[in-house]
Amino acid sequence: MALVDLFVLSCIVLGALSAAVVAFHPNILYAAIALVFSLLSVAGLYGALGADFLAAVQLIIYVGGIIVVILFAIMMSENIYRGRFVEGFRRFIVPFIISMVVLVGLVRLMRRAGWPKTAEIMNLPSTGPIGQALVGPYALVFQYVAIVLLSGLIGAVVIARPHYTETKGDGT
Amino acid sequence: MAVFSVLAAVIIILLFAMPVGGICTYIERKVSADMQERIGPNRVGPLGLLQFFADGIKMFLKEDTAPKNADLPIYNLAPILVMAGSLGAFALIPFAKYVIGADLDIGVFYIMALGSLISLGILLGAWSSDNKWSLLGGMRVAAQIISYEIPLGIAVLSIVLVSGTLSMSGIVEHQAWPNGTAAGGHFWNVFHNPFLFINFFIYFISALAECNRTPFDLPEAESELVSGFNTEFSGMRFGLYALAEFADVIMFSCVATAIFLGGWHLPFVNIGELNIGLRLGGHDLTPLIQTLIMIGVFLAKVSVLVFVVMWIRWTLPRLRVDQLMALCWKYLIPIGFVNLVGCAVWFWVFKGASMLQVTSRLLGVH
Repeated sequence: MALVDLFVLSCIVLGALSAAVVAFHPNILYAAIALVFSLLSVAGLYGALGADFLAAVQLIIYVGGIIVVILFAIMMSENIYRGRFVEGFRRFIVPFIISMVVLVGLVRLMRRAGWPKTAEIMNLPSTGPIGQALVGPYALVFQYVAIVLLSGLIGAVVIARPHYTETKGDGT
Repeated sequence: MAVFSVLAAVIIILLFAMPVGGICTYIERKVSADMQERIGPNRVGPLGLLQFFADGIKMFLKEDTAPKNADLPIYNLAPILVMAGSLGAFALIPFAKYVIGADLDIGVFYIMALGSLISLGILLGAWSSDNKWSLLGGMRVAAQIISYEIPLGIAVLSIVLVSGTLSMSGIVEHQAWPNGTAAGGHFWNVFHNPFLFINFFIYFISALAECNRTPFDLPEAESELVSGFNTEFSGMRFGLYALAEFADVIMFSCVATAIFLGGWHLPFVNIGELNIGLRLGGHDLTPLIQTLIMIGVFLAKVSVLVFVVMWIRWTLPRLRVDQLMALCWKYLIPIGFVNLVGCAVWFWVFKGASMLQVTSRLLGVH
């Protein structure tokens, strides 16, 4: 077994185990921390597939940004050690259906994608082609995402800024 | 090959990052003593040089306590995450030509990505120790690191724009001294154009904030938060936090040296083309000596930067939280964006030539 096979296998096992912890652990904080390891192992899989840029993006956006925000939200809320939101197996019905739909979609996508069969393609640098694609065929989508992000930022500022509406009457 | 790169990574971490982190604690105490007209550590060994060994042994032998209500699994995990984040980046530091743990295509981007582990580890450690001062410190760390990653990223982005590559060794190669034969030499990126010169300071200020060093040490502000996020940690767990801070300072200085200050390149000479006629038993020693000179030059630049970091620590007072955020969002980020656009315009007008090349063309010197 080559070193890279071992790496891929451990990424899959770690990712699956921590994903199970995310889904079934009663403590929401532990679920969030398990999500870190799940996302890290997905980054490892990207790296093993030769998508090094995507792996770093996974790390910087999910671990550095989204997980920290999730942790902020959890740490600011009360009684996180106190049990579950919905008791019993009832809480698994809707998530199960949604995740099955997503799984079927992903499997179909995976079967249709043309995977590179040789190692030479995988070792090519991936940043150049990604950049070319973002200003070439996907320029419109890229700009659209930029507008969505900008409006999100503006919305956050509008929500977070202090409200002075009560002092409006006294002419200040 | 794989075995050798693993071995190199272990050697870099164990023989470089850890001892240098320890030596840095000694130097920091000496520098602070000098600035306050004290003597500093002078009992352990000649000039107190063995002080950091004594500190390390003390850290190891101390009782490892944990608060009663601490969330133990997370409490134990946190310092390891912080240490992993700071040490992992050393694999990407180009100490000399070919002396680099892993020359990834996404080098500098990967270094920034690893930094996210540090904020995560500090936040988790702060929360799990069940102490309000720790939690306040942890919240400050998270807010500070997330904010200052943006100007840091913009400064790095302008370098990537000018160099045309993300790989650390590629960026360093780009900064050679332009002598007759090597037409591609652009000299140090910090002197590439006026915008990059300003961006170097943006990078340096943001790096100070990322390592939680004064004047940005609000997360461990002694006068407000006892000791901040590491209040409840003792023994080697505290030692890991302290070591990770110094490893972080060294790592950011290494990155600044590599991407802004030309790595191992010197003005007027090109070390890679030096001809040293030394031979030993029929082997040409030139590559070895060149590599040693390169490592020396690189480490000299890094130590100057580390000294400046310490100098700032013992000179400037601490910022307030609102000043911290105002500095980041109202000054560094807009200036950084303007500089990024300025770099692009410079690149377009002068066809990617550096200030040095433009002047030499104007003067007719090649």
